[in-house]
Amino acid sequence: MTQMLTFRNVELYYHHVYALKGVSIELNEGETVALIGANGAGKSSILRAITGLRKIRSGEIHYMGRRIDGTSVADIVRKGIAMVPEGRRVFPYMSVKDNLLMGAFTRSDKADIQRTLDSVLHRFPRLKERFGQQAGTLSGGEQQMMVIGRALMAKPRLLLLDEPSLGIAPKLVQDIARAIVAISRDEGVSVLLVEQNSRMALSISDRAYALSTGTVVLSGDSKDLMGDDRIKAAYLGGEL
Amino acid sequence: MEQIIVNGLYLGAQYALIALGLTLIFSLMNVLNFAHGQMYVLGGFVTYTVVAQFGLPFIVGLIASAVVLAVVGAAVEKYLFAPVIRKSKREESTMLLAAGIAFFLDAVILLVFGEKQRGVPKIVNGVLNWDFRIIMPYDRILIGVLAIAMIAGFILFMQYTKAGRAMRALAQDRVAAELMGVDVARYSMLGFALGAMLAGLVGGLLVTITGINLGMGGPTSIKAFMMIMIGGAGVISGAIAGGFILGMMESIGLTVLAAYGDITYLMIFASLMVFLAFRPQGLMGKPWG
Repeated sequence: MTQMLTFRNVELYYHHVYALKGVSIELNEGETVALIGANGAGKSSILRAITGLRKIRSGEIHYMGRRIDGTSVADIVRKGIAMVPEGRRVFPYMSVKDNLLMGAFTRSDKADIQRTLDSVLHRFPRLKERFGQQAGTLSGGEQQMMVIGRALMAKPRLLLLDEPSLGIAPKLVQDIARAIVAISRDEGVSVLLVEQNSRMALSISDRAYALSTGTVVLSGDSKDLMGDDRIKAAYLGGEL
Repeated sequence: MEQIIVNGLYLGAQYALIALGLTLIFSLMNVLNFAHGQMYVLGGFVTYTVVAQFGLPFIVGLIASAVVLAVVGAAVEKYLFAPVIRKSKREESTMLLAAGIAFFLDAVILLVFGEKQRGVPKIVNGVLNWDFRIIMPYDRILIGVLAIAMIAGFILFMQYTKAGRAMRALAQDRVAAELMGVDVARYSMLGFALGAMLAGLVGGLLVTITGINLGMGGPTSIKAFMMIMIGGAGVISGAIAGGFILGMMESIGLTVLAAYGDITYLMIFASLMVFLAFRPQGLMGKPWG
């Protein structure tokens, strides 16, 4: 397996408060890796550091053999990294169609974009029904499908998902989990998944890192972590 | 009656164009551009210089106004607003900056073009007279039609081009737009240039009818902000509605209220205050928060 993404001792601060305190993680091509942990553990900060939304203070981030920390967000997207941000962040007064087209902003081949659009609409038929509707009028679950589709429109090699189950009706969480599994299988994209819903995250990922106050406290195969007593106690509420 | 409506449409189209530029800048950067009226005056003087001084055709003057103001807008964004926004979290900073630019442009216009009222010769002669129900000089009709065509062009640009879509996205969610790969700095500059260009174009259009002078900047800014308040800030449909409503109110006022003295704007301000008490976000605006 080739290594796709590597964090070496990354530190990240919000003003004077640290969010990441020397984090080292890696992700191989084709893998789905989950980052679990409580609110404020630093999971989302890892994604923001990758996309360049936040500058890191020290350490290195490598992607496909190249160092990428310090690169602008737009260039990161062009390198094939797409992010589904926390809270969905749809463009509320734009149609579903325009939202999806925004996802392909860095691409210019119209025929190729159309092919991707067709495959996204095929994957999420609900979006086809809502194609001309303003995105703000969709339900939470539909919006989540749309922003995942929007990220796929960039034809990414690495998909970053920030809390895709947040604020979604429980019965739709399963749909989203299934969609993530299907996407990583069909499109050959690697997935880095941030989730508070640890049970869901562990059940659909190959490996996982558990974070607490800006450091990695546990890592391993998701199957093993699912049975780990410490994980059970801390993140799964003991009801497994 | 028909006369009032036609006058209102003619005025409204100009106003809507001014308001569109202002609302574009506001929605993209959260900047209240108090210098918008001065940009409009500068556009008028550029057309005046090209047409009346150099003797070139009107369309050349109009294009010159658009280009000059686009460059001014881009420079003002890149070298003044962008650094201030980067350094200061407080909204007053950009307001003060915008007010400063308004005074600065006033001074520049005074130095370069002087304080006299300027105009250009009529671009078309003749008057349309439809049975004395509508009497309208042809040049006003031409300018009105040009303004409406520009509004339509702007809407099509925002709705159907990649750059227009990117600007709408940027206005609706900055972070998400950035994550789509939109170069925020570049598109903020482009949006500001486009907004300033619209102001310059209206200046160029109206110099043929009303002429232009240094004192028109401030009042034009005030009118533009009124339109935004009526229609709702940051919304394209709101700017257009606000522009046409103000144009129509002015047209009605000047005809109906003329007998009572010059009280049109007194009435407009009074009714705007009442309106805002009931609907502070304007007609199409979204309530904040």
